[in-house]
Amino acid sequence: MRRSKRYPILIGIMLLITVLLAACGQNNAATGESGGTEGGEKKVTIRYLSFEVEIAEQLSRMFKEYEALNPGVTIMFETIGSGADSASALRAKFNSGNEPDIFQNGGYSELDLWIDHLEDLSDEPWAKNVVEMAREPITRDGKLYGQPLKVEGYGFIYNKDLFKKAGITKVPETLAELEEVANQLQNAGITPFLNPYGEWWIIGNHLANIPFAYQEDPNSFIKGLNEGTKSFASNEVFNQWLDLVDLTLKYGNKNPLQVDYNTQLTEFATGKAAMTQQGNWASIPLLKANPDLNIGFLPMPINNDAASMNKLPIGVPNYWVLNKKSDPEVKKAAKALLNWMVSNEEGQHYLMSEFKQIPAIETVRGDKEVLGQLAGDVMRYMDEGKTISWNWFKFPAAEATSHYFADALQAYSAGKMTREELLAAFQNAWKNLNNS
Amino acid sequence: MRFNRSEMQQQLVFVGPALLFFTLIVLVPFLLSIYYGMTNWNGVSSTVTWAGFDNYKQIIMHDTDFRNSFWFTARYSAVTVILINLIGLSLALLLTKALKSRYLLRSVFFMPNVIGGILLGYIWHFIFVKGFASVGEWTNIGLFQLPWLGTSSTAFWGLIIVTVWQYSGYLMIIYIAALLNIPKDLKEAAQIDGASRLHMLLRITLPLIMPAFTVCFFLAISWSFKVFDLNLSLTGGGPFNSTKSVALNIYNEAFRNNRYGLGTAKALIFFVVVALITILQVKYTKKKEVEA
Repeated sequence: MRRSKRYPILIGIMLLITVLLAACGQNNAATGESGGTEGGEKKVTIRYLSFEVEIAEQLSRMFKEYEALNPGVTIMFETIGSGADSASALRAKFNSGNEPDIFQNGGYSELDLWIDHLEDLSDEPWAKNVVEMAREPITRDGKLYGQPLKVEGYGFIYNKDLFKKAGITKVPETLAELEEVANQLQNAGITPFLNPYGEWWIIGNHLANIPFAYQEDPNSFIKGLNEGTKSFASNEVFNQWLDLVDLTLKYGNKNPLQVDYNTQLTEFATGKAAMTQQGNWASIPLLKANPDLNIGFLPMPINNDAASMNKLPIGVPNYWVLNKKSDPEVKKAAKALLNWMVSNEEGQHYLMSEFKQIPAIETVRGDKEVLGQLAGDVMRYMDEGKTISWNWFKFPAAEATSHYFADALQAYSAGKMTREELLAAFQNAWKNLNNS
Repeated sequence: MRFNRSEMQQQLVFVGPALLFFTLIVLVPFLLSIYYGMTNWNGVSSTVTWAGFDNYKQIIMHDTDFRNSFWFTARYSAVTVILINLIGLSLALLLTKALKSRYLLRSVFFMPNVIGGILLGYIWHFIFVKGFASVGEWTNIGLFQLPWLGTSSTAFWGLIIVTVWQYSGYLMIIYIAALLNIPKDLKEAAQIDGASRLHMLLRITLPLIMPAFTVCFFLAISWSFKVFDLNLSLTGGGPFNSTKSVALNIYNEAFRNNRYGLGTAKALIFFVVVALITILQVKYTKKKEVEA
């Protein structure tokens, strides 16, 4: 009898050991990336995390090509983005020990946040060719920490055919001209503005950036906010900016809080409205939904000074960064991949013509014909020097502040907040996140 | 109760593995979060600074967002707990009658439960934004023309509709099991004594399925207080932060605002509150249980 009673214990102990071994085994798989040296060739897996939904398909094709050219290199490619909260997802991945090797960073406060994890890329062959405006956000103490993905611009995208239908011949450059145009459109039975106020980043990052960008010196204004010497309520530019917000609401679609990014794209592509605030990255999905769409960029004016208003906010949204703590073999392979993307002819081909993006590396020149109308407009504004800056990555805790801005703007657009309350909410969010 | 040695060993074999995983997955993180709740860790950097009870002070004294989230979650829970149970029980009573299609209907009502919350949220997002709008255009019925996710009150009821739709079927199954367990002789005796239907329901059926009430209320309360995935995918806490559940608020604090310490402190406060409420509820409904 005694004998038979021991069996369960033995089985139990064996079970426990199996479980523990299995757990350890998993751990190994997660940390040790170079999986042995079979046939003299190193097998390396690069975990590549991207937030670029628009080019997810193209990126994955490019990586397939790279894998074919470089046997032994496997790229585990994953895209998170759009509606999802990509910054939170990245943090969750790091906290669970499931760290990617290459991922994205927006620079400025996001660089400060992640700098412990980032590899210095100053000595890479492409580093000296990064365009000037792309350097500042991702540089600390003279070290360059990322490879810029692209240059982007945003503004009001307008439907040229609908403008023509309403008999508009001159593109508006000031607030008064914009109102006149909106009026003309409305009289022609066309909804002037499609307001995507349900999507936090469109309003929290891009719309809220406008009054920052139109400050005389955005950086010193932000510094003043951080030190408590400047405030939103006492700033004239913010007041003017709310005139523009009021204008879009007055001439806007019904239920703006229900319009998210996807809804915005489909409604605009099908001609439901003449103008909508969005960037050149929307070009691919818009043209996919309607290949005959005839579109271009308008600036977002906040007053009637034509000389200073005809500008587009242009910047570098994101950088590929390398995880400092990755396996040395993986890091080497990842650096080779990043270099291939911007220096090899096949890699450049994707950058110049497949992604439909404006390259931020001087040796790679985008073709206006290939890039399409929106990117072409951005390049034109860039060449003419009519640009204003992007500032949301300079906010406290970067996009966390933008979320609060978006909440306040939503309440304002629903009539639940006055101008004073909106600016007070901005101030509160800034103060609250600044001292953390 | 006393165990001899071999019994202890048996317990170890059968309970051991589960205990091991429970410790690893629930207990250890819980203890860790007590520690993190007293730090200023931002969730990313390698330096962690000690903050003592500052986080708790900040939450209780200054955090109006957290308070609003709590108030929203309380309202949401109160309405959903009542509605889910009411509808679940009504369906159960209906589908234990001699209906021909009752087995089919049971699976139909249970079905929404099989779909996960995130997916449900996205499906209903589409229904509210696109589906309702199109129906509204055709029929001109005011209900469908509302901006369902665009105002705070309709978004609140939108969340409730989806929650009730998702969970009533599950509770229905539990109630059905309880109803089928009521001894027939009791009902027959009551019938012979001339009890009316309502009387039988109130005096015999409901008291006898009290254990099911305990379970169902417990489940409903803990589900609705912890609502996260549905909230995230249907409203995302919007419009203007008016439908943000406590769980979502905690998640945003920890992972979006980069204040992991503050977030875990909130989570602990939340844990204590939910634990208190459910303990009270279980105690109360347990008292009401009777045996035939």
